[in-house]
Amino acid sequence: MEMFWQTTIAGLETGSLYALAALGLVLIFRTSDIINFAQGDMAMFSTFVAFTLFNYTGSYPVAFIGALVFAAIFGFLMERVFIRPASKANLVSKMIITLGMIMIVGGLAGAVFGTDSLYFRKALLADNITLGGIVVQPNALFIISLTLVIMAVLFYVINRTKVGIAIRATAQNENTARLMGIPVLRIYSLSWIIATVLGATAGILVAPTTNVSINMMAEIHLKSFIATVLGGFNSFIGPVVGGFILGVLDNMVGLYISLKWKTVIVYGLLIIILIVKPTGLFGQVHRKKV
Amino acid sequence: MKHLQSKPVQYVLLGLVFSVIPYIIPIPQSTMTILNTVVIYAMIALGFNILLGYAGQISLGHAAFMGLGAYLSAYLTGKLALPFLLSLLLSGLIPMLIGIMLGLIALRLEGHYLAIATLGFGVAVQQIFVEWLAFTNGYSGVRAKYPSIFGFEFRSRESFFVLAIAVLVLLCIFAYNLLKAKTGRAILAMRDSVSAAQAMGINIYKYKLVAFALSAFYAGIAGSMYMHLIRFTEPTQWGIGLSLNLLAMVVIGGLASIGGSIVGSVFLVLAPEIIKEVPGLADIKNLSYILTGATMVLAIMFFPHGLARLGMQWRSYLSKRKKNAAVNI
Repeated sequence: MEMFWQTTIAGLETGSLYALAALGLVLIFRTSDIINFAQGDMAMFSTFVAFTLFNYTGSYPVAFIGALVFAAIFGFLMERVFIRPASKANLVSKMIITLGMIMIVGGLAGAVFGTDSLYFRKALLADNITLGGIVVQPNALFIISLTLVIMAVLFYVINRTKVGIAIRATAQNENTARLMGIPVLRIYSLSWIIATVLGATAGILVAPTTNVSINMMAEIHLKSFIATVLGGFNSFIGPVVGGFILGVLDNMVGLYISLKWKTVIVYGLLIIILIVKPTGLFGQVHRKKV
Repeated sequence: MKHLQSKPVQYVLLGLVFSVIPYIIPIPQSTMTILNTVVIYAMIALGFNILLGYAGQISLGHAAFMGLGAYLSAYLTGKLALPFLLSLLLSGLIPMLIGIMLGLIALRLEGHYLAIATLGFGVAVQQIFVEWLAFTNGYSGVRAKYPSIFGFEFRSRESFFVLAIAVLVLLCIFAYNLLKAKTGRAILAMRDSVSAAQAMGINIYKYKLVAFALSAFYAGIAGSMYMHLIRFTEPTQWGIGLSLNLLAMVVIGGLASIGGSIVGSVFLVLAPEIIKEVPGLADIKNLSYILTGATMVLAIMFFPHGLARLGMQWRSYLSKRKKNAAVNI
C-alpha cells in the first residue's frame, strides 16, 4: 500500500509538469488556433538558460526567475518573428511553421549549449520526510504546490479579470473580439508569453530527473499533448485535469505493468481516447460552420 | 514525338538517363551512396507529398513507417528467407495496413489530431524498436543482405542505383496516374475546400484514408530499400528528427508536385554534405538542421510552391507587375 501512495505522489508530481505544459499548449491553441509543436524545445532552451545562469551566479532563485524572464521575451519574439507574419496562412501552414521552429530552436540549443546531458539541482534540497511509511520528497510537494498556485492565479486571471475576458473572447471568436475593441494581437503575444513561461517552469522543474539535455522535454512534450487530448482541446481546465490524471496513470503503469513498455501503453491510451471520446473529458462537440 | 509529352514516358526516360550516368562517368563510392540515399528519400517524400501536398494532412510518424519497412525487410529476407521483391512489397503493405488502422481512428477528427496521433505513434514505435529484441535486436541493430532478383545480386552501388531508380520511376508513375484519375481529383478538391468537396459527394474520410495509407506504403518501400542499401539499422535513426526532415523535403521541394518531392530530397541530402565541405561552417553543430528548419519556414512564408516551382512563381510575379504597370499608365 505504501508503494501505491508513494506512486500516487510521484504521479501528481509528474502530472503537474504535464499540466503546466498542457495549459501552455491549450492557451496558444485557443487564442490563436495554432498547435505549438515547438513548445517542448522552447522549454528546453529556457532550461539551458536557467542552468547557465545557475553556473554563473550560483543562486537558484536568480537562475529560476532569470530563465522565466528569458522565456517571456523568447515567447514574445517567437510569436513576432515566426507566427505573426503568417497570421493569414492556413492551419496546416502554421503547424509546419511551429515544426520548423523545433528544428531551429532544437538545433540552436545543440549549437550553443552542446549535446551533453548535464545535472541540474532540485528546487528544494531538504531531506526526505517519512509519513506513516511513505517517503515523501519535499521537492515533489514543492512542485505540486507551485503548480497549484500557478493554476489558481491563472484561472483567477482567466475567469475574473478584464485580461481574462479578453483572452476568452479571443478564444471564442477572433473577429467578434476585434469588433468589441479587444486588442487581439496583444492577446496573441500575451498567450505566447504565458505559454512559454509555463513550459519553461515545467522544464526547470523536471531537469533534476531528466538532466538538462537536448531531448529532456521529449517525454513531457508528448505527454502534454496526450493530456490535452484527454482533457479536451476546447477547455482551459480540461488539460490541467488531464495532466494530473495522466501523471498518476503513467506512474501506475510503470509500477504495476511494465516500466519498459510505459510509453507504448500510454500511447495506447491516447488511441483509446481518440476512439471513445475524441472531444476529451471536458470538451464539447465542436461543430464547424461553413 | 507525341509520346514524349506524356509524363510517365518522361519519368522512364529521365530514369534511364540517370541510371546510366554512373556507368559512363566514374563516381566515387561515397558519392554513389549519397546519390542512392537521395533516390530512397525521394520515394518517401513522394508518398509524404500525397498526404501533405495533395490531401493537406500532417503526419509526424512517417519515420516510424520507414523504420518499420526497414526492419520488416531485414526480417523477411533474413529470418524467413523470402525473395527480395516479395519482401519489398510486404515491407510496403504491412506499414500500409498499420497506417489504415491509425488513419481510421485519427482521420475522423480535425486535422491536428492526425499530427498528434502520429507524433505519439512515432515515439511509441521507436520505443518498440528499442525494446522488442527478438525482432529488432535493440540498440545492437540488425543487418540485411544485398538485394537480389532472380539470382542477380545488386552488390555494387551503381547497380543498386539502377534498381532504386527503377523503383522510384514505378512509384512516380503510380502516383501520377492515381492523381490524374478520380482519386486524385477527389483528393485535390478536398484540399482546396473540404465543404465544397463534400457538397460534390466526395467522401472526405475515405480519401484522406487513401492518401494516408499510400504515404505509409511509400514510406515502407523506402525503408526496405534503405535497409538493403546500408544493410544495417538501429532504433535511433527512426525518430522525430527524420520525420521533420521528411516534412522539410516536401515543403522545400514543392507541395503537391511529384518533381518537387524529388527536388526536396536532393536538397535535404546534399545540403549537409555541401556544408560539411565549407571550412568554418563545418564546426558549427547542427547547422544543417537549423538551416533546414529555417528554409522550411521561409518556404511556407515566401515560396509556398517550393523550389520546384520557383520559376513559375517568379514568372507569375513578373506578369503581375507588368499588368500593374499597365494599369498605372
